Amino acid sequence: MYEALLGTIFAAIVAIGLALAGVLIITIWKKDRTRKLSYLRLFIQVVSLVGIFISFTMALWLVAFFLVIFAVTLFSGRFFCGWVCPFGFYMDLIAMLRKKLGIRYWTLSDRVNGALNRLRYVIAAAILVSPLLVGALTITPASQIQFLFLRGPYHSLNLFLSPLEPLIVPWTGALANLGFVDWSFSYPYTRDIVYYINIPVVTSVLIYIFIGLTLVSTFMYRRFWCRFCPTGITLAAANRFKAFKWAPVLHINKTEEKCTKCGICKRVCPVQVTEVYEQKGGDIKTSMCLNCMRCVEMCPYEDCLKVNLGGKTVFHSRNWLEPSNIE
Amino acid sequence: MKSQSAEKKYLPDMPQKEVEELNASVKAASERIMADNIERMKKTDPNRPAAMQYFDEVSNFFGMRQKEIQEAKAQGRKVIGYLCVFAPIELILAADAIPVRVNSGWYDTSKLGDRIVPVEVCPVIRSTIGAKMIDLSPYLELSDAVISTLTCDGQTKLSEILSDAKQMWIMTPPRVKDSAQSLHLWKEEIKAIKTQIEKLTGNKITPKKLKEAIETMQKATKAFRRLQDLRKGNPVIMGRDAMLVNQMSMWDDIKRWTKKTEALCDELEKRAEKNEWACPPDTPRVIVTGTPMFWPDNWKLPTLIEEATPQGILVGDELCSSDRVLYDPVGIDEWTMDDMINGIAERYLMASTCPCFTSKDGNEDRVNWLLNKVKDTKAQGVIYYVIRGCMLYAMEYSRVKKALDKVDIPVYYLDTEYTREDVGQMKTRVEAFLEMLSARVDF
Ligand code: SF4
Ligand code: SF4
Ligand code: SF4
Ligand code: SF4
Repeated sequence: MYEALLGTIFAAIVAIGLALAGVLIITIWKKDRTRKLSYLRLFIQVVSLVGIFISFTMALWLVAFFLVIFAVTLFSGRFFCGWVCPFGFYMDLIAMLRKKLGIRYWTLSDRVNGALNRLRYVIAAAILVSPLLVGALTITPASQIQFLFLRGPYHSLNLFLSPLEPLIVPWTGALANLGFVDWSFSYPYTRDIVYYINIPVVTSVLIYIFIGLTLVSTFMYRRFWCRFCPTGITLAAANRFKAFKWAPVLHINKTEEKCTKCGICKRVCPVQVTEVYEQKGGDIKTSMCLNCMRCVEMCPYEDCLKVNLGGKTVFHSRNWLEPSNIE
Repeated sequence: MKSQSAEKKYLPDMPQKEVEELNASVKAASERIMADNIERMKKTDPNRPAAMQYFDEVSNFFGMRQKEIQEAKAQGRKVIGYLCVFAPIELILAADAIPVRVNSGWYDTSKLGDRIVPVEVCPVIRSTIGAKMIDLSPYLELSDAVISTLTCDGQTKLSEILSDAKQMWIMTPPRVKDSAQSLHLWKEEIKAIKTQIEKLTGNKITPKKLKEAIETMQKATKAFRRLQDLRKGNPVIMGRDAMLVNQMSMWDDIKRWTKKTEALCDELEKRAEKNEWACPPDTPRVIVTGTPMFWPDNWKLPTLIEEATPQGILVGDELCSSDRVLYDPVGIDEWTMDDMINGIAERYLMASTCPCFTSKDGNEDRVNWLLNKVKDTKAQGVIYYVIRGCMLYAMEYSRVKKALDKVDIPVYYLDTEYTREDVGQMKTRVEAFLEMLSARVDF
């Protein structure tokens, strides 16, 4: 009952939200040249959230999500993170709130940021290896089905999908532990906490701590979770190796001569990627980049930064010097 | 605030009468030179854009702009001078003060400077000292404080010498741009200057005011770039005219300057549509790089290029007195005070191509800037201009030459002094270079 009702309410909210977002985008498109892409991205994030919610209502094989994310990441870097991931979207919303309050973000030192990025690989490796350890090697018809739904020994792979969790889900929400019984409220990773640590009070406390920590850290550091999130593991790094050069089709490309090293790209990057600034032209090689393209949008030199999709430039930096009156 | 001791460390106590006499004679000579320069610019391009009229007017050191600033001062506004393009103009504007650049281009005063520092010192420095000795520069005289950046040795000692007469605010730029600690140091310098400006003017720099100032400067940059873009095609405007416009941005009221520059660009666009060129489209296109050139006296080289036979046209330059002044905007992601300060700090430090920097990773910024400029403006040759005594530019020459050789752009090293005496000899050299360029064009 509740689910159906909430689903309808949610759909209504989303519909109104989308309409408003549409109007907003058109207004901004007209006036503000430095935020066009950002608002388009916001729009796509909302649409994706709805899409994910809807596909959750269908008994989709979770493994399909899993494969899609990996395919997208393989061919286009972390495009998924910049434009689709709901958790990333929530973090962007928090950043918007912070901006409204006129508070500037904090920054991590490049060393810590780099260490977190490497930590991501360790976490991801651990998650991938664990099914093998719990005996998934014995392939039975049952275990094949389990694999499709990421159950049983494959449950750990769910961790990769946790950032996809909408705040309202079409099933019993994981926040039931916090007293929202019968409500379909959820939050990324809470289902995993419940699954792994199912001890009455402890679980609730842990969930509170987790939500509190992620909110606060995101308020302070832009896209904090993304700096070590295992889902964000990327093969954009394939860029680096000759043998894999064919794989990524989406590149951020820089023309060295045009760059005046003004540093804007480095400052605006939500995950503090330094490569766009430091690299001497060519395709940017980094596994940290979310492909949010904020740097391309903000670089003030015509054609200095470009987004190339399969060799074709789909977006490039412009001389945006038409100051906005929006904020 | 620095206490000003009565005893002067450098400047001599010249009799008031001598000061006045020298001032009067140099001023008279300077007025003649300004008029002459403008006359010659008009002659070079008989069909000179009407919008240039305004810039001719502001360019008069002893004219309407001086009066305007005097009046503003009488109403309590403060004037902040600066010696290098590192001074954060946005902060000055946000505190409702008037920024003016105070480097000197007067030849005659450099001889006076010789009384204090030896002739080996860069003439830009000597001339600025001399101008101060006889109270010549109205902008320097009107400044309540002067921001000086310790870029080269000359600038470093210059700020010490000027501190005899002026309140100097000194900023130390790090010599390496791209390390975390450099940026940190520079940010602190910017914050310190902000406090100084607030204290002097009594106006608090609020986020709202700073945002306005940043946007004012972004608009100026937009107009500035528009003008530079127009110079990329067939010659719609003579290089000297564009140079004058660029230079006036440092002295004029920036909002008015922006409007006038946009108007000039409108006019130029119309001309381009009608194929009205300032000089024949096949005139050899030249870029100048090197030591900054200041109006009015040090207009020697651009004049020579554009009046030579065969004639050349300056399609751009890499001078911190002209094409580099407004090229970079402050780009802000989040309009909070912190982010704005960061944005300003980065724009003034990291985007600078001043040769005073070196870097861990090759210090290519200036070379890249130049290569891009050459490509954009389709320049056929580069004149590397150095005034004797300007070490940094002189030393970077061979590197720049190598880079230009690679793209097959001839470059000519031209060294000179703050003097009119070598004009004849320079003319021969410039003409030979232009001759060679036009031969290449024909070829
Ligand atoms: S890094 Fe993780 S949380 Fe961040 S956007 Fe990517 S998947 Fe989402
Ligand atoms: S924003 Fe553009 S010009 Fe500035 S440093 Fe980055 S790439 Fe270079
Ligand atoms: S480098 Fe650019 S595209 Fe990548 S995350 Fe940073 S701002 Fe976004
Ligand atoms: S070249 Fe550098 S030090 Fe010299 S005036 Fe220009 S910015 Fe200042």
